[in-house]
Amino acid sequence: MPAVRVEKLEKDYGKVKALKGISFEVKEGEIFGLIGPNGAGKSTTLRILATLLFPTAGKAEVFGKDVVKQADNVRKLISYLPEEAGAYKNLTGYEYLEFMAKLYAKTGKSVEEMLELGKEISDLGNRLYDKVSTYSKGMTRKLLLARALMVKPRLAILDEPASGLDIINAYSIRQTIKSFARNEGVTFLVSSHNMLEVEFLCDKVALINEGVIIEIGSPRELKEKYEAKNLEEVFMRAIRVSAGGE
Amino acid sequence: MSDFWIIVKKEIKDLLRNKQIIFGMIILPLILFPALGQMMQIGIEQAQEETKVVLVNFDKGEYGSLLVKSLEIAPNVTVTQIQAKDLQEAIKKAGEKDYNVVVVIPSDFSQKISSNEKTYVEVYAIFKGISAGMREGMSEGRINAVVQVLNEYLAKLKIEQNVQGDPEAILKPIEAKSYSIIKGRIVEVPPSVVSGIIFSQAFSIPLVLFIMITYVSQMAATTMAAEKENKTLETLLTLPVKRITIIAGKMIGTAGVALISSIAYMIGMKYYIGSLTPQTSEIGISLEDLGLSITPKGAFLFALSLFLAIVFALSISMLLSVFAEDVRSATTLVSMSIMPLLFPSFILMFADLETLPTAIKSILLALPFTHPILASRAMLMQQYSQMYFGIAYLSVITLITLYITAKFFSTEKVLTAKLKFGKRKRGRA
Repeated sequence: MPAVRVEKLEKDYGKVKALKGISFEVKEGEIFGLIGPNGAGKSTTLRILATLLFPTAGKAEVFGKDVVKQADNVRKLISYLPEEAGAYKNLTGYEYLEFMAKLYAKTGKSVEEMLELGKEISDLGNRLYDKVSTYSKGMTRKLLLARALMVKPRLAILDEPASGLDIINAYSIRQTIKSFARNEGVTFLVSSHNMLEVEFLCDKVALINEGVIIEIGSPRELKEKYEAKNLEEVFMRAIRVSAGGE
Repeated sequence: MSDFWIIVKKEIKDLLRNKQIIFGMIILPLILFPALGQMMQIGIEQAQEETKVVLVNFDKGEYGSLLVKSLEIAPNVTVTQIQAKDLQEAIKKAGEKDYNVVVVIPSDFSQKISSNEKTYVEVYAIFKGISAGMREGMSEGRINAVVQVLNEYLAKLKIEQNVQGDPEAILKPIEAKSYSIIKGRIVEVPPSVVSGIIFSQAFSIPLVLFIMITYVSQMAATTMAAEKENKTLETLLTLPVKRITIIAGKMIGTAGVALISSIAYMIGMKYYIGSLTPQTSEIGISLEDLGLSITPKGAFLFALSLFLAIVFALSISMLLSVFAEDVRSATTLVSMSIMPLLFPSFILMFADLETLPTAIKSILLALPFTHPILASRAMLMQQYSQMYFGIAYLSVITLITLYITAKFFSTEKVLTAKLKFGKRKRGRA
C-alpha cells in the first residue's frame, strides 16, 4: 500500500483553479518532493493531504485512508508542518512540545519519550525553557520541526521546511530530516521552491506548475532525461517541453 | 509643510483608517449615549404616567372627604374610591387592575383632626417588578405633596382660629405613613427606600452582564484570531483531536478566564455601587427584608440562564472571529455584532418589560442577553415559570449557534473564510 495516493486531484478557489487534476504516489519510507514556483499548487496539495482543505474533485489517500471521509483517521497518521507556522508565544518551547506530546501520546511514558526526542531534534539546549516569543525565526522553525517529528508520524508533511532561513539553519533542518527518514523510516512529503534543497533531500520528485504535474521521477533520472546539471535546469526545460506539447 | 504638520497629518490618516478606532471611539459613543438617554427617557416617562390610586375611606367626617377631593384635583393622580372591608381586600382589588397606590384613610381621621390630635393616612405603593422603581417613588411623592398641601391648609385654619394644643399636631396634623407592597405582601419600608435598594439591583445586573459578555466575547475572539495571526491554527487543526474537542476546550478555557475577570470586576463594582448608595446598608434593609429572597432553585435557574448566555456569546464570537484575519479585526467584528444584541437590554434598567410597548418587548425577548437579566429579577420575585421560558429559549438558540460553529469548524471555511470590508482576496494556491 502506498503511503500517499493522489488521483486526478482538483481544487478550485472560486474561479481560480489551483489544482487541475494531479496524480502521484509516494511509497512508504520515501522522501518525496513537490517542487515548483510560488502559486504552483504545492501548498494546496499538502493542505488537502493534511485534511485542512477539501478537494473539488479527485481523490487523495494516506495509507489507504480517504482524507475527506476518514479525516480523523488520517490525522492520527500524519504530522503537518505548514509553511508559515508559529508556536504559542506565551509558552516556553518545552511547554509547547509537552502540549503537543500529550495530544499524541496515550501513556505517560510515551510523552517522556516524545519530549526527549523533541529536545534532541530541536537542538535548542537551555533556550527550550525560554518563552517562544523570545525565539528567532530559525529557532522557532527548529522547534516546529521537532514538534512535527517527535511524534514519529507515519507520514510527515512538510511545507517549505527551510523557507526563509539562513544557510546554517536551513542546512541543519535538512540534515535532521534526512537522518530522521533514514533512522526512523518515516515517509516524508516535502514541498519546496528551492530545487537544490529538494535535490539534496528527496528520493523522488514531482515538478508542479500552474496546478499541473509536468514530470515525476528521481532527481538522477530527471537530470539524465533532460540532460541537465541540476533540478533547476530540469524544471525550466520541462516547462518548455510541456508548454510546447500543449 | 513643516515636519510637525507632516507627522500630524500622517497620525490622523493612520488613526482614522483604523476601523477599531472609528467604531469604538467615534461611532459607538455617538450611538451609545443618545440611546442610553432614550432608554432612560422611557423609564422616566413611565414613572411620570398617571398615579392610579385606589382609595379606601373608612372616615365618615369632613376631613376624610377633603383629602379625597384634594387627591382628585391633584395633577397626574387618578383616584378610584372603592368599598372594602379591610386593607387586604383593598390591596387585592388594587392588584387586580393596573393601580399602583392604595391610600387608606382611617375611621378616626376627621375626629382626630377636629380634636387637634395628630392623625395619619396610609400610603401603599405596589411594586410590580424590579426596574429602577422610579414609578413607585414618584407616586409616593405625589401623594405626599397632596398631604403636605392639606397640612398647610389645615395648619393655617387652626392658627387663624387660634387653636391651642400640641404644636406638632397643629402644624402637621396629617402624617403619611408609607409602605411598600411586594409580591402582594406588605413591607414596612417606604417605597423610596425600596426603590433605592431595587435601583442598585436593576442597574448592577445588566451592567455586570454587559461587562461579562463583552469580556467573554472579546476573549473568545482574541483566542481564535490569535491562532490565525500567530499561524498556529493550521497545526492545531491537523492534530489527532476532534474539532468539537478543540472548540469545547477553547470555550471552557476562555470562559474560565472570563469568569475570573468577571469576579474581579464584580468585586470592584460592588464597592463602587456601594459607595454610590450607602443609605441602604446604613438603614440595614436587605433584599430578604423586602421578601425578595433567593432560593437554591432560583439561584440554579439564574446560573443556568447566565451560563447559556455566556456559551452563546462564546460560540458566536468564535464563529465570527474565524472571518477575521487578525486579533484587532476580530475584536472589532465581534464588538460590532455583540453590541446590538447586548445593548437594548439596558432598557430594563429603567423600565419593566411588562410595561413596554409590544414591539420593544418582542425585540427584547428575541435577544438572548435579555433573559439572564429577566431571570435575575424572576429569581428575586420567585417567578420560576418566566425563568423556564427564558432558559428554554436560550437553550434553543445556544444549541443552534453551537451546531453552526461546530459545523463550520469541520469545514475548510475555518481557514479560508474572510470578511473583507474592501475588495475580495483570492485564495492562496
